[in-house]
Amino acid sequence: MNKRFREMIAGYVDDELTNAERTEFEQKLAANPELRAELEEFRKLKEVTSVMSYADLPLEVWENYWQSLYRKLERGFGWIFFSIGAMILLGFGAWELFHQVFTDPASPWYIKIGLPILLLGLVILVVSLGRERLFAYRKDRYKEVIR
Amino acid sequence: MVIRNKQSLGEAMDRTLVLKIRTGDKRALGQLVERHKKLAYQVALGLVGNKDDAYDISQEAFLRVYRSADKFDDSQPFLPWFYTIVTNLSRTWLKRRSKRENKMVDVDDSSYLMVAEGTPESALVRKETIDRLRAALKKLSFDDREIITLQHFRGMSYDEIAELLGIPKGTVMSRLYYARKKLAESMRSYYE
Repeated sequence: MNKRFREMIAGYVDDELTNAERTEFEQKLAANPELRAELEEFRKLKEVTSVMSYADLPLEVWENYWQSLYRKLERGFGWIFFSIGAMILLGFGAWELFHQVFTDPASPWYIKIGLPILLLGLVILVVSLGRERLFAYRKDRYKEVIR
Repeated sequence: MVIRNKQSLGEAMDRTLVLKIRTGDKRALGQLVERHKKLAYQVALGLVGNKDDAYDISQEAFLRVYRSADKFDDSQPFLPWFYTIVTNLSRTWLKRRSKRENKMVDVDDSSYLMVAEGTPESALVRKETIDRLRAALKKLSFDDREIITLQHFRGMSYDEIAELLGIPKGTVMSRLYYARKKLAESMRSYYE
């Protein structure tokens, strides 16, 4: 059966064909039992879905929708400020700690060795996580999806 | 003509609101949310099949609008851009939830599909029909489920779908045909 007429079944069921297309389709339909069978199947499907709907949310959820979204928005800003502040303080703390440990001759040797190892481990972890995220982003098939 | 004018008015309003959001206007975001929250939720629900996740996805979509308002091309209508955000978030959600890429996953939310309230046929439609349809929808690909959601469950016309997806009307008809064919095949044994 012609691909064009097959696809027109959808338009016919949804009443989306132009008058000329409908006439053409009905002529084809009258002469083609296969097309009629498929049309019947589509009509049954449409009948079933026409009495169904996606579940709605309770009214109070819709009423609180904006408040909930607003709280998320606020929290987003909160996390940004918190992260910036934490990074500044942690950086300052780390600098002070290193400065104190390495300028103080009384600092035990294991602290002097342990601290750089800790820092090295942290740098490796950050680089590894960053690389993984970058790799995942590059492999994301849908990141550039624009209609 | 009246519908077209209404649509243009709506588009102009959306555009104005997004321009205000760019300046950090949260009230404008609130207005935009009121206009499109149900669309966002229903599209996400049709794609992921879980009410709680659809709710979260719809909210995340509005947060993205707020953060990325400057990326919106204001010479274009807002809805297709917003719709792409919702579908991309849904795709990402599905990818995270399932290794079977783009297949709807079983998330134990069997109540996302129901017989429409106040439908005279409600009593005639048995639970079995819903279960069968739900199972059939689950088997569809992401793109097939998308087109079925828009036409069958959002009741959108081919012109509206074409505009939303940025595809020709003929492609809408063709995509609907193939999606329905797969759906009908899954339902066939039920009719017999």
